[in-house]
Amino acid sequence: MEYILHIVIMLNIYILLVLSANLPVGLANLLSICQAAFYGIGAYFSAYFLLQWNLPFVVVALIVMCLTGLCSLVVSFASVKLKGDYFVLATLAFQMIVFTILYNWTEVTRGPYGISGIPSVKLFGIISLSGIYGYFALTTVLSLIVILLFGNLKKSPFGRVLTAIRSDELTVLSIGRNPARFKNYAFFISAAFSGLAGLLYASYISYIDPTSFTLDESIFILTALFIGGIGNIKGPVFGALVVVVLPEILRFVGLPDAMAANLRQIIYGLILVLLMYFKPQGLMGELKIKN
Amino acid sequence: MLLKIKNITLSFAKGKDSFKILNGLNLDVPKGKITALIGGNGAGKTTLFNIISGFQKDFSGEISYCHCGLDPQPPLRLENLRADKISRLGIGRLFQSKGLLPHLTLLDNMKLCSNDTSGEFPFAYLFRNKKLLAIENEKEMKAKNILTQLFGENNKYLGMLNAMGCDFSYGEQRLLSLAGLFMGNYDLLLLDEPTAGVNPVYIENIKDIIRKMVAAGKTVLLIEHNMLFVKDLADIVAYMDDGQIKFTGTPNEIINNQEVKNSYLGIE
Repeated sequence: MEYILHIVIMLNIYILLVLSANLPVGLANLLSICQAAFYGIGAYFSAYFLLQWNLPFVVVALIVMCLTGLCSLVVSFASVKLKGDYFVLATLAFQMIVFTILYNWTEVTRGPYGISGIPSVKLFGIISLSGIYGYFALTTVLSLIVILLFGNLKKSPFGRVLTAIRSDELTVLSIGRNPARFKNYAFFISAAFSGLAGLLYASYISYIDPTSFTLDESIFILTALFIGGIGNIKGPVFGALVVVVLPEILRFVGLPDAMAANLRQIIYGLILVLLMYFKPQGLMGELKIKN
Repeated sequence: MLLKIKNITLSFAKGKDSFKILNGLNLDVPKGKITALIGGNGAGKTTLFNIISGFQKDFSGEISYCHCGLDPQPPLRLENLRADKISRLGIGRLFQSKGLLPHLTLLDNMKLCSNDTSGEFPFAYLFRNKKLLAIENEKEMKAKNILTQLFGENNKYLGMLNAMGCDFSYGEQRLLSLAGLFMGNYDLLLLDEPTAGVNPVYIENIKDIIRKMVAAGKTVLLIEHNMLFVKDLADIVAYMDDGQIKFTGTPNEIINNQEVKNSYLGIE
């Protein structure tokens, strides 16, 4: 039972991450490959506030989301006006910089040793949320709230402008909207919710180190997004389900451990190639992936 | 004059060579009239539109825009303004060969053309407060009214408000894009080849829509190659060649001009 609950908790965390990635990638047409950097920034800020201040969950969540969002402005202000590959390179650079800082600034992050003993979050400042059942409830409620929030965002006038930006930036400019401003908003929100996922991860696992927030992790989040599909809510949720549950199913196939990890990569690659050919909008997505 | 364009020069450099696209161009666009800009391919007509609407920078010259509301105000200089700011001043644009936004419904396409940006801040719509819902409803009503005025009572588009932009034919998309321009409070409309690729029935519809634009107090600056359309519609025609306005006059004066006949219309 605890094994299944653990999978659901990780699924809920990945739903947050993949939905966050969908906002810039799926709606605003910003192929960002630094989602894991925001996830990591959120996790490390959370570790600091939980270890040093032991603040209530809501307070830590708000602080972490704001700080991670502010960090996103470093990359978004400089790069949202870049197009296509140049934007991807800018986010790649940010991802590498964040990883290098997390890995080498040992006085603060403890570098490769990571930070251990991160306490569980305290709901309302009193009830310490320990144990897998508590995290199952918390992450499930939060992922449902985030699904509703992002659903509302997509249907809102803000979502309308983002969808328009994805289709044609020049037209958006010609009707008096500044696409760069909307892209900054999208990036900020995306980073803030990735930071929230970082908080949940850090407090649930109680140990973090930089290897959880590498470029591979960013690509993994994007893979989930592209498998599920971009532009709507059910696509990213389904994508998260596939990438979290698939490896667990493979465990029961009885493959040798040394082979299982490689096979997983091959399966993801194969799924992506097949999707590009036969279903470019992903399994449940609304929009086709643009070149 | 609503718009005064003075001595616009724009060059593109390629290697060591430099090509002058616009060469000291001057043009006055009078308020409440339809001015048609004609000229051969590559004469710089769309580039001029890009300059007016803020998409093309790095040119020299002056563009003064007299956005006269109720209060008389001094003309505004547009050269250094961003495209979105220029649009908010009241200059709308129909791009060449572009239709509706494909992934938005017809209604959302229309709503997006409105100048009212209320509710476009992230999560502003979260609590669906009465004011924002009222604004959204107003936009919907306005869109329906515009469609009714342009295409008649019970026209088919009223029943297709939730169809995606890409579900309409190209000709319909051009008509509906023009309809969208009524949603914004534009004083000057830049229409880049509105009839290109559109069938004769829709061309008549487009003519009606443009007349209704002028009747609604708007000024139209139009790029067009269809000379019958220009002759029927335009008050003033400006002939453009070599990056300059060579002749300006009534449609008949320009069509009967020998140089225009020889170099543009291909008539001896």
